[in-house]
Amino acid sequence: MVFSSIVFLFRFLPIVLICYFATYLCPGKAAQRVRNLILFLASLVFYAWGEPVYVLLMLFSTMSDYLHGRAIDACRSQKGRRWLLASSLCINLLVLGFFKYADFLIGTVNALTGLRIPLLELGLPIGISFYTFQTMSYTIDVYRGKARVQRNLLDFAVFVTMFPQLIAGPIVVYTKVEKELHDRKADWQDISYGARRFIAGLAKKVLLANNIGMLWEEISALDYGSLSVLTAWLGIAAFALQIYFDFSGYSDMAIGLGAILGFRFPENFNHPYISSSITEFWRRWHMTLGSWFREYVYIPLGGNRRGLPRQLFNILVVWMLTGIWHGAGWNFLLWGLWFALFLILEKIILGKVLKFLPRIVGWAYSMGVVLVGWVFFQLESLDSVTAYLQAMFGQGARAWYDGRTIYLLLQYAVVLALSLFFATPVMHRLGEAMDRSATGLGIAVRRLVQKVVPALLLLASVAYIVDASYNPFLYFRF
Amino acid sequence: MDDKKDARLTVGFLCLIMILLIVGDCVQKDRLFSENENRLLQQRPALSRETLLDGKFMEDYEKYVSDQFVARDNWIELKTRSEVVMQRREVGGVYLGKDDYLFEQHLPENCAPEKVEKKLALLEALVRQYDAKVMLVPTADNVLTEKMPKFAPYFDQLAFLEQVRACIGEEAYIDAAGELEKHKEEEIYYRTDHHWTSLGAYYGYEAWKSHTHNLTPVRYDPLEMAVVSDTFLGTLHSKLNLPVKEDKIQYFPQTLARKVKVTYDYNVVRDSLYETSYLEGKNQYGFFLDDNHGFVEIETGYENGRELFVLKDSYANCLIPLLTAHYEKIYVVDLRYYNGRLAQLMDPYMGERTDVLVLYNCIHFIEDFQYY
Repeated sequence: MVFSSIVFLFRFLPIVLICYFATYLCPGKAAQRVRNLILFLASLVFYAWGEPVYVLLMLFSTMSDYLHGRAIDACRSQKGRRWLLASSLCINLLVLGFFKYADFLIGTVNALTGLRIPLLELGLPIGISFYTFQTMSYTIDVYRGKARVQRNLLDFAVFVTMFPQLIAGPIVVYTKVEKELHDRKADWQDISYGARRFIAGLAKKVLLANNIGMLWEEISALDYGSLSVLTAWLGIAAFALQIYFDFSGYSDMAIGLGAILGFRFPENFNHPYISSSITEFWRRWHMTLGSWFREYVYIPLGGNRRGLPRQLFNILVVWMLTGIWHGAGWNFLLWGLWFALFLILEKIILGKVLKFLPRIVGWAYSMGVVLVGWVFFQLESLDSVTAYLQAMFGQGARAWYDGRTIYLLLQYAVVLALSLFFATPVMHRLGEAMDRSATGLGIAVRRLVQKVVPALLLLASVAYIVDASYNPFLYFRF
Repeated sequence: MDDKKDARLTVGFLCLIMILLIVGDCVQKDRLFSENENRLLQQRPALSRETLLDGKFMEDYEKYVSDQFVARDNWIELKTRSEVVMQRREVGGVYLGKDDYLFEQHLPENCAPEKVEKKLALLEALVRQYDAKVMLVPTADNVLTEKMPKFAPYFDQLAFLEQVRACIGEEAYIDAAGELEKHKEEEIYYRTDHHWTSLGAYYGYEAWKSHTHNLTPVRYDPLEMAVVSDTFLGTLHSKLNLPVKEDKIQYFPQTLARKVKVTYDYNVVRDSLYETSYLEGKNQYGFFLDDNHGFVEIETGYENGRELFVLKDSYANCLIPLLTAHYEKIYVVDLRYYNGRLAQLMDPYMGERTDVLVLYNCIHFIEDFQYY
């Protein structure tokens, strides 16, 4: 089930919330347990709706890490704990490897050796990369003594399966929600904030991402050989905006739902397209994935504490992994390496150079790198990547712009302007200023805006969902 | 009032909106068919073990909830209006042109050269074998170009027609495009529908006449056309569902002069080329030749021994009545409804004095022209 659907908004969510909040009628410890049970069952339905079979895999994964956590906790010898951790990680990585990367590996082996090993052609279980990363964070942290073991199977199952962030993040590490799993409270202000945040995310996805996505959809279907330079840039910029609003919209919806249910999920995006270096971009883009890799790969590998060469090597490893985390394909690996290249350059020299230059130069450089990166990310075959890049960089006899460019710019002018505007933090800052305002007028305006704007956005989003000619789910490869 | 109370108010307000929508949705009865979208709506799917396990139930149920959502048509209208407000030049595959003209969007990339080549090869074979004449009619976007939104991309049908002409030769090629071009200031296409008007068809007929030899002299006068409907909202309007000026449907009363016998699909017999019942409904263009049929046989009672075999799309429906004055029998085939071998169908009808005409608009030709 996806959030931006009538069935989620007007069937699933209302039923779940009614059941969930009905438990508040009977206070006490038991109600908290019932709430977790409701959340768990709801999450199973939510997942099984799209993956009626793979839901078992998720339960297996849950059970495995629960038991490993208990075993690590009970084990007294360091060696035994280490073996248990290794076993847990192996199971997680094997599950992930088997369902996500097996065909990629087989295909590669076939291509290299000329063998004809048949592909498995298993469908990728939605969200598998998100929930295996979450469960791995748990066992690792229990092993390190950073997290207390979870003895309550239900609480642990809620952590793994929780529907708000199950299929598109943010990646919530166990220690972040450890307390809330057992005991949480949502007051009216949390619920109000959560509802507004959810609607904002919904609007980002449905009103901005889907609409600007149609521009990319149109351009990417053209013949790259005759694409004008400006059209090519316009197309990939449209995709950049689409995936940003789509992904960050999903995160907003997850964070909002979390707040309604009493969880505080970590932020996932912080206006990445204002970055003036690639290092900064990755501190603002999919932040929970970045910090997961930092915490569980980069730092264990030694981070920056073992000299520059080792640090550069670590960066390379982390970004190769980041690349293929987004999908089992060479283009994703290339995409990761592309960023590793610039991150390494920035570590060595470029970062120091950029400091002396005006921010706008760094911004232009970063956007160039990111946009070229999206070409790797989105066009899967090497041929189309090359052809598209050739168009962007004016290879061959092609026009700078043509009638089609002007038409598309006119056709999407308003959507484009809105998307660019909302990609900057201006609106966010305005909202913060409004929240801080303590004058009578300020408070009145805030209270009005907090009701009217979400209501309008909700209605507009529903209109766009009902007639959903284009409402894609972008993360089926993650 | 403190912030806490206000938060409660906000939550209450948003919940109220949701509750109203949900209640409205529950109260509303399911519809079978959407007039606006011209399609069957998804009905409540049956639940079974199989459909649950392979996900079919979930898929259908999602469609069901969305198709039957409360005030669906109004939501769609709201969306379309907002798109117009946002200065979109094209909404749902329809260009919003000047003077209230709507144009169906035909992007050049959807008519790939390979596809065109294939259709041309089929056409050429037909021309060689049966000495067929070919009239391919450009759609409105290629004729009323000045009324299109600025810079709007469209498949260049005039270039395509030059290709057709070169492929089948002058002898077989009927130049409807040239004739329409001369009259592009007139009402030759509907504003709200993707068809040409009876006037447009008349110019097509003129092009055909000047190309065909030994015809009985007949003259139609566009000034004598009669209006049968002034409330026509066609297929392009349906894709938008915004209030626009309605179209008029006209026809040539002269075509009523002769008693005809029209047999649809070998079994339904009528005594008119026109079906007035359509004028009550949405699909008013169906007035001409009872909408679309796989095979239509028209007997005109005009005993000159000449017969015509037409392979066509819906553009032909309003032109064929004009041809009845020249033939004893006209056979009309819509290839979309015929799966057998074409020769098997045609050969029994091919006599000494049988003409063959291929009559499509360019887009339908590229999309639908197909035979074995």
